Amino acid sequence: MMASSFLWYLVEFIRPSWVRKFFTVRTAPLLTPPYFRGFPEPTGKACTRALRCMMVCPAPGAIDVVKEADGWHPRIHRGHCIRCGLCVEACPNGVLSSGRVLESVTASGTALTLTFRIDVDTVSCMGCGNCAVACPVNRGLDPQMAYGGRASRDDLLLCVVEGKCKVVREDRCNGCKTCEDHCPNGAIRVDRVLQAVQAVSL
Amino acid sequence: MGILQNVKNAVRQRSIHVAYVDVGSCNGCDIEILACLAPRYDIEQYGIYVHNNPREADILLVIGAYTPGWADRLLPLWEKIPDPKVAIAIGNCPISGCLFARPGTLIHPPVAAHIPISAEVPGCPPRPTEILQAVLALAPEVFRDYEVRVL
Repeated sequence: MMASSFLWYLVEFIRPSWVRKFFTVRTAPLLTPPYFRGFPEPTGKACTRALRCMMVCPAPGAIDVVKEADGWHPRIHRGHCIRCGLCVEACPNGVLSSGRVLESVTASGTALTLTFRIDVDTVSCMGCGNCAVACPVNRGLDPQMAYGGRASRDDLLLCVVEGKCKVVREDRCNGCKTCEDHCPNGAIRVDRVLQAVQAVSL
Repeated sequence: MGILQNVKNAVRQRSIHVAYVDVGSCNGCDIEILACLAPRYDIEQYGIYVHNNPREADILLVIGAYTPGWADRLLPLWEKIPDPKVAIAIGNCPISGCLFARPGTLIHPPVAAHIPISAEVPGCPPRPTEILQAVLALAPEVFRDYEVRVL
């Protein structure tokens, strides 16, 4: 009687399922939850090259917008990207997606808007007009503009008035900072103002 | 001899010893590596042991963007590791310098320019699962055919 109860005690302990578990135990495969932000993936929507992604990206060299046979495409560089998801949030066209960033942005009605302010230091500006000539927005509106920055129309972004650079239509600026690069005196500065806004839902 | 070496290699690749070295990171990646040791990820169940001693390491995890203080320290540390050995760059910093790769910062990425790097795990920081995957994918390669062909 004693021996059989001891035997049963042992049998309880060498239950096959327990023995198997003892030798093969592993943590269940750890899956990445869907709300984790991965490296941004293209959603297939067309990129309009607003370059908001490159302007908000906090990591140097993490994102580029490159031209391919079928148009512009954002390229994420691994080893640089920190998976913050700001490019996904800032893109006006929803070209990229990462985790649930796009869904939560749509659900909460939030957006990252970039506006641009141009400051001209009128003391160091010598009115050469390099900024107005180099500006790609001006070039689209007034291709004839040449040395001196004299404008043939009055709705340009930049023009030279009375020997000084004047910002006429700041709202046309797309923040490319080409004027900054071409100013010999460093007199013009473009500020990119990033604002997180939420539409008031009624 | 060849069979014996094969058996040795097969056994040793299931028991990988890891050392990690922080060459100037923000500690984000260090914390993710520590998370690998914790019960949730538990790297010891895969036969990976962290001793943090280069003399008995097979895999070196390099974290950080390589600050000047490591110029005369990292290579001697790498040479102390007995063959066969591999180094894995963990995080963006050893790959590119990540957020610190700006003008005027005292870092010299990539680490691959200073010691041979076999694998890179991008991310800032990479997830523990990604670090685990990299170590587990490299573990069989470390001892594959080690000293078999020579004999």
